Amino acid sequence: MNFNKQKTDIMKHIKILALFFVGVFISSCESDYLEPALTSAVNGGNYFNDVDELNTAVINMYDGLQGVNSTSTNDNKATQIEFYLTEMRSDNTRTKSQEGEAAQFEEYAVEPTNGIVANYYSSFYNVIFRANLVLANLDVATGAAATRIEAEAKFVRAYAYFQLVRLYGDIPLVDSVISPQDTDVTYTRVAAASIYALIKSDLATAVAGLDNTYRTRASQAAAQALLAKVNLTTGDYAAARALLESVVASNNYSLEASLDDVFYNEDNNETIFAIGYIADGLDSQNFSAEWLNAVGRTSGVNYVTNDVIAAFNDFGGNRGASSFRVDADQPTQHQVTKYLPVGSDPTTAGNDWIVLRYADVLLMHVESILAGANETIDPAALASFQLVRNRAGLPTVVTIVTKEGLLNERRVELAFENQRLFDLIRFGVSQEVLSTFSTGFSATDLLLPIPQREIGLSNGLLSQNPGY
Amino acid sequence: MKIKFHLTLFSVLFCMAISFAQTQISGTLAGADGVPIPGATVLVQGTNNGTTSDFDGNFTISIELNQNLEVSYLGYLTQIIQYTGQDSINVVLEEDLNELDEIVVTGYGTQKKSNLTGSISKVTNESLDQIAVARVDDALVGQVSGVNIAATEGEAGSAPTIRIRGTGSITGVSDPAVVVDGLLVDNDYLGNLDMNDVASFEILKDAASAAIYGSRGANGVILITTKDGQEGETKFSFNTYTGFKEARQSEAYYFSIADEAAEEFAETGTLSNRTQRKVNLGVDTDWQDIIFDGGTINSYSFAVRGGNKKTKFSTALNYIHDEGVLLTDDYKKYNAKLKLDTKLNDKFSVGINLSPSYSNRRRFDGSTHDILRQTPWLPLYLDANTIQNVNRVRDNGRYANAQIGDYALQRMFDDWDMTNNVAVVSGQDISNTSNTNPAAKVLERDRNDYKFKLYGSLYLKYKIAKGLSFKTTALGDFQHTKRDRWQGVQSNRNGASAASYEVSNEITTHFVTDNFLNYDKEINGHEINAILGFSAEKWDTEYESSEGKGYTSDLLQTITAADPTTVVGSSFNYARRLISYISRVNYAYKDKYLASVSFRRDGYSAFGPDSKYGDFPAASLGWIVSNEDFLKDNAVISNLKFRFSYGVSGNPYFRTSGGVLVDNFPYLSLLESSTAVVDGASAAGFNPINIANSGLQWEQSIELNPGIDFSLFNNRISGSIEYYERTSDQLLIDNPISSTTGFNSALVNIGELKNSGIEFEIRTKNVTSENFSWNSTFLMSSNDNELLNFGDSDGQIQNVDSKRAAEWINSVGNPISSFYGWVVDTDIPLEYIKEPYHPIGAEAQDVYVKDLNGDGLIDDDDKTILGDPYADLVWSFANEFKFGDFDLSFMIQASQGAQVRNMGDQYIFNHFNSAQDFNTATTPNQGFIKQKIFTDDIIQDASYVALRNVNLGYRFNAETLSYLNLNSARLYVSGQNLLYKTADNYTGFNPESINTTSPTTYGYQRAGSPIFSTVSLGLNIEF
Repeated sequence: MNFNKQKTDIMKHIKILALFFVGVFISSCESDYLEPALTSAVNGGNYFNDVDELNTAVINMYDGLQGVNSTSTNDNKATQIEFYLTEMRSDNTRTKSQEGEAAQFEEYAVEPTNGIVANYYSSFYNVIFRANLVLANLDVATGAAATRIEAEAKFVRAYAYFQLVRLYGDIPLVDSVISPQDTDVTYTRVAAASIYALIKSDLATAVAGLDNTYRTRASQAAAQALLAKVNLTTGDYAAARALLESVVASNNYSLEASLDDVFYNEDNNETIFAIGYIADGLDSQNFSAEWLNAVGRTSGVNYVTNDVIAAFNDFGGNRGASSFRVDADQPTQHQVTKYLPVGSDPTTAGNDWIVLRYADVLLMHVESILAGANETIDPAALASFQLVRNRAGLPTVVTIVTKEGLLNERRVELAFENQRLFDLIRFGVSQEVLSTFSTGFSATDLLLPIPQREIGLSNGLLSQNPGY
Repeated sequence: MKIKFHLTLFSVLFCMAISFAQTQISGTLAGADGVPIPGATVLVQGTNNGTTSDFDGNFTISIELNQNLEVSYLGYLTQIIQYTGQDSINVVLEEDLNELDEIVVTGYGTQKKSNLTGSISKVTNESLDQIAVARVDDALVGQVSGVNIAATEGEAGSAPTIRIRGTGSITGVSDPAVVVDGLLVDNDYLGNLDMNDVASFEILKDAASAAIYGSRGANGVILITTKDGQEGETKFSFNTYTGFKEARQSEAYYFSIADEAAEEFAETGTLSNRTQRKVNLGVDTDWQDIIFDGGTINSYSFAVRGGNKKTKFSTALNYIHDEGVLLTDDYKKYNAKLKLDTKLNDKFSVGINLSPSYSNRRRFDGSTHDILRQTPWLPLYLDANTIQNVNRVRDNGRYANAQIGDYALQRMFDDWDMTNNVAVVSGQDISNTSNTNPAAKVLERDRNDYKFKLYGSLYLKYKIAKGLSFKTTALGDFQHTKRDRWQGVQSNRNGASAASYEVSNEITTHFVTDNFLNYDKEINGHEINAILGFSAEKWDTEYESSEGKGYTSDLLQTITAADPTTVVGSSFNYARRLISYISRVNYAYKDKYLASVSFRRDGYSAFGPDSKYGDFPAASLGWIVSNEDFLKDNAVISNLKFRFSYGVSGNPYFRTSGGVLVDNFPYLSLLESSTAVVDGASAAGFNPINIANSGLQWEQSIELNPGIDFSLFNNRISGSIEYYERTSDQLLIDNPISSTTGFNSALVNIGELKNSGIEFEIRTKNVTSENFSWNSTFLMSSNDNELLNFGDSDGQIQNVDSKRAAEWINSVGNPISSFYGWVVDTDIPLEYIKEPYHPIGAEAQDVYVKDLNGDGLIDDDDKTILGDPYADLVWSFANEFKFGDFDLSFMIQASQGAQVRNMGDQYIFNHFNSAQDFNTATTPNQGFIKQKIFTDDIIQDASYVALRNVNLGYRFNAETLSYLNLNSARLYVSGQNLLYKTADNYTGFNPESINTTSPTTYGYQRAGSPIFSTVSLGLNIEF
């Protein structure tokens, strides 16, 4: 009996010891056990170790500018929804049937809760974040590569800020990677003048550090042309003129034979900077489809106003034929033809979005010489003006350029390229022109509201633009 | 000599006397209803002489005169009969009305119900499998106090929302943990279980009971135990039912061209051109009839259970087919089960449990709100009459080829002069959308979920010493889910260019090893039960998907047939790990003083490197007052127990907007690949998708639960009343942040939430007699949800749809999410509406709102909290009647106090149609006009009272049974949701339907799917 009890005790002890050892064994490799391998994403803490990895972040900035072609309201649409906030708020375009959120723009009744307004704001601050991320990790690059990368990131950042400040007014200034706790940065609206100062300084670095290799990535000419436009906006006409003349002098760009070639020949010589798209599942755009009748998710937006058709008839030359057409399904309406979808599926189009082209440079040149006056007869201005008119089938020699004439020329040359609203503001005629165009317009409608979401989250720190 | 003889004679006689005194007697055991009781224990008191009754309740035993026969059986009162020379002893066993000796499954063990100190509710499957629903969770409605099950989606096979004691979590997951035969499975598993095979549900409601599941117990735990084999003769059982389902339609959403025309005629004395044309078309479609097409539900289940002293087995097969009440929805489920438990010898026992299941679900791939807002004058298909009114000229002859049998589109009938049968230029349009036929959207799409799940467990139990045993179990589940979605060429207004096909496969392997020591000891009235264990768990998931477009026809619905330039694919995999140390001690002294202490330490892989571990202690006490001497023989009080529990449990699951990779590795900054286009070619980049939080940790839930269990008048009235207070802090929140950071949200642990309430249960045996009995059960629970701390987001205002930006507010002192907006003052009179009678059934989108602060302006200061989506009170009242061979039971269940933001109104009443805008030139007080969606016009009362279940059955009597050679048979008719009453101001068809948004914007309903009623006929037989 005794022996059996001893045996049982020993067995019991062995069992417990075995369990104990198993436990110790397991707990010793516990820490590894509780950190399973990450195979489907890259660990950011171990990334950005060399210049190749930094270059992927550079490419990432352009992905941000593209925006996501999706139906989800959570995705950043960026450039793909820019036309709502620019062309449709001018006298160039409108919705086809005045329905939904999009109609708020042409009616000058934009609500702070407008989803497109909020999406654009988020999208471009996301672009700024991507640029700041590159700059934060710049130390892994050296020499020429570092100069170029810094220049590229600053170009993209400046572009994003330029769009935001023109549309929203005073906005938060974020010049580094921040965390949500930095509420003094996220909820402080910095005066537009300081934003412009950052833009100019960033573009100056960009001009110095880039060359003219690419059309769908930042280039020196793009930085010069963009900085010129910024200078024109802030009234620094002389600085703008110098930059534009550098672009001309680079001999890299020239006007295409016809306007169609600019938009349907992707590698044309007139494009200075474009945001690239491909008609596949990952890099396509959908604004081309939205501008048609019931091809995209809407029944038709960015439809041409009778006002701009009249302008084309008066000043357009042969440009009207290349810019818009009658809507075959609804003959009383007119559609934009500069971006008819390229690709087998119109909702995933491959048309690049042209941001800056040579014709714009030439017309800005005229503007910089005009320098705010009512008219000019400066031969350099006349020459640039003439080049654009010649291409448009209007070879009559120009002897004088008036401010109104230049504005009209810009309108018909750059129609539907998201320029018109900014042109009106820059030329100081927005109040007069837009209030004549629409009874709903008032001066406070020139700026969009800060998205209600931001105001709500700031708990009173952010102020809203007047009129909203 | 003589003495020797006498001695011998005496001893011989004595022996004879003894041998003759031991007689064999036999008898039968039966219950009060006459049904024989097999397997009961028959003992001769004071000896080792015992036997069990056989299948017919007969037994034979040797007994001596004046000895006592003790007959006992679980669930029945033990009887003692003295043998005084009867030929046979027939015993009628009385049911033990004291159910307190019932065994309840707790986490990693079992306990006597009388010794419970926590809050655990048990629901035995007596007739739950006769409720004609395809999912086991649907059958639990109204069965347990404190458990609120809402039919958030009415599609066949879709999961209801289960909340135990309110919503305790903010980022995503407030679902309770589900444990099936010891394995903690994901909630999706409930859709693959076979109710016929479930023996009982134990719901662990308070933290003290759920803390044994530590990091996963914060929202309560549902323990499901499947049926075991039983010692005795092999039993075969076959259960089947067939039911008919019908959707409950909404009167408010019923539109008819005849009614509308009559209304317009009564108001204005004439019919407008538009209305006249619509009437002339001669069609009045009820779209609710078309998409709520009803269906049948059929279930077949066959099981074999049996065993002997050493081995028990249980096998089951089940097939269920639920056609669903919506157009095209369908659900089929196949289950098989094998469970084997065997005692190898005195020390070792092993068991295996294997259960594969497969479900095939076709979804309703459309939205009810989109379809129901269609006009009644549109037919479904073109027929000989309506085809004459198709305008074949418009849109460049777009409809030139229209034929009888084609889907009818609204635009087909525009600009057509019906009197002269000729196209007109324009201005005669009656359409209000260019969309395709509403039913086509559903009929031309095919969206399916195919789920295969295999559950398996293998255990080995070793009895080390008396009272000490060791059990090791290897268990797990394997799941493969395939989802596909085909959208055909006629399913979209844009035709073939919108046709697409997507398919995805997700495979998850889940493996657990549980190792437990179990110790039971009783000394002098002190009963101790202790467990000590270690568990390791892992999940590995692989996911891949592909999508293609560019189809020109419906012929080939595969990725290969798509346009290759449109094909996009993705794949990723991730893993999770969990390690746990578990311990618990239960103590009882003389069944009077009870105590229980448990402690669990969990380490989980998804938390930051320094915060992976959490500790989850729990303690509870109980005092069975009725076992004290002063109450022991009380006539009124048969049982009275006071109990109090305290516990800490956790919640590790969250769903961020960043996706599943961020959910599993939130402590790392994750980069995903991105592409841009450089010079016409794709270039690769990497993009950060989240803001890392390396300090991320558990969500913690601390709960206090005092309670009283009582039963009176010899258990005729029994019940319990308890109060709980559950505070959840360190809540995982996908906190919205300023988009100037580059992101819209970041995952943090902030926030504190409190759920408190009362649960009350009372069960009464009203009448108990031989031919008639009547029992009632009344359950009631209340829940009050309060946000205590929300960090910097206090007062946060959010919306879920930027196009319909109705607001929610999250502010401290109120429930987590409350509806926020303006208060309605009056409607805008019809005279100011541009076109009050077009489209049919439309309502103006604007309304006059109240100026709450009296400053003459309507602005944000006039907004206020309009209500919240959480029920204040949920109750159910069930009754069971037995009369002769018949039985009838019914349950009424109700919920009060919840509200819902019915956005379906905006769609279905066509608010956004510009014809319904007010005339800006003539309408007065335009500054006081706001859109209805921003007001309490669409905040409707979601309360309901429903006759949830009715079951009328007939039990075949003994003669018929023996004639048919069956053990038992029951024929029944059952009905679900036969009556369902909603509040007066509710316009939809399902107040329980809630769209999936976040818990901070809860209560959003976009029409959803309907409540349905089912009537079924079933048969359960056992042989």
